[in-house]
Amino acid sequence: MPKPRVLLIIPCLNEQESIEPLLIEISSLESNYSTVVVDDGSKDCTYDKAINLSPTIRLLRNLGIGGAVQTGIKYASNNGFDFCVQIDGDGQHPPSEVSKLLSSYEDAPASVVIGSRYLFNDSFRSTRARRFGGKAIAWSLNTLFRGCNITDPTSGMRLMDRKAIQFFSGSYPHDFPEPISLAWALRAGLTVKECGVQMRSRRNGQSSIVGFKPIAYMLRVLGYVFLARIVGSKSR
Amino acid sequence: MHSSLQTVVIVSIFALCYLYFTARETARQQLDIYDLIMLSTVAIIPSVFVLFPMFAEWTAIVSGVAFPFVVMFGILFAILFTFIHRLTAKIHRLEHNNRLLIQEVSIIKSEIVSASKQIKGNNSEGRTSEK
Repeated sequence: MPKPRVLLIIPCLNEQESIEPLLIEISSLESNYSTVVVDDGSKDCTYDKAINLSPTIRLLRNLGIGGAVQTGIKYASNNGFDFCVQIDGDGQHPPSEVSKLLSSYEDAPASVVIGSRYLFNDSFRSTRARRFGGKAIAWSLNTLFRGCNITDPTSGMRLMDRKAIQFFSGSYPHDFPEPISLAWALRAGLTVKECGVQMRSRRNGQSSIVGFKPIAYMLRVLGYVFLARIVGSKSR
Repeated sequence: MHSSLQTVVIVSIFALCYLYFTARETARQQLDIYDLIMLSTVAIIPSVFVLFPMFAEWTAIVSGVAFPFVVMFGILFAILFTFIHRLTAKIHRLEHNNRLLIQEVSIIKSEIVSASKQIKGNNSEGRTSEK
């Protein structure tokens, strides 16, 4: 049986400090993962550093994380990859953990495999507001969608199989994409599961979701998840 | 009940000017014909209420409100809300299409860049082997 082709999608914005070490780390792995860096309109040298080490798509305008990830998914679809794995360009997601997602898929296939920070890992700590927000979103997904048991809906590390690649290349949320994409996938009948992974603290930069933003984020996501459940999402 | 001459003159001048400017913009294709119809109601409805006060009175009685102007503003609000709803949907559709275009163009551009890199590489390899 031929080895599946795996693409690592690395969305990034102004990650000139971390993108190079991340790509070097990926190339040093024994697994032959392909990579595509999606530069979401960086103002620094991210593109110049990435293009020397990996195929890189520079978006002509900043589209946000959803637009950047969907561009990578479209690239995976156009180039016939079997799996794509989204990992952050800030170095929070160790590339060595990708093999855990693949092993989890092999054990029990699901269209989307989320790399969970909380599953079998009590050591991971984020701010109280973010934990509360994440729990509320997970609760809403688990309550509204039957058979769903998610602990980390906001994780940006996730594996998608061909079915999910096909689905998300057609429609992918641009606002709060991680949790809402799960709701859309579940609504469309795709299967979602989790696998415990270790994550690092970001090498550089700061999260954009700080202060009261996690609460606003949570409320808006809950609204979108609820709407996805009751009226569904139509691919445009 | 009747409208005063001043009211008729002011509302008529407003209606004519407004219709003229919106028609002119439509002719220049800055607005589409649907927008012209929706926006011109802002001029037409007050004119109808001023020029035909008995009709205004009748609509107030039929709809069970005390004053005709309440009916007039109700109709205007309904039309404007419809217009704004349509406009919002249109903006989001355009935004979506714009996003798709940016993605497709960016992917094609990256493919061109990698293809030209490959061609350059092949050419330099060819030159080296010729030597």
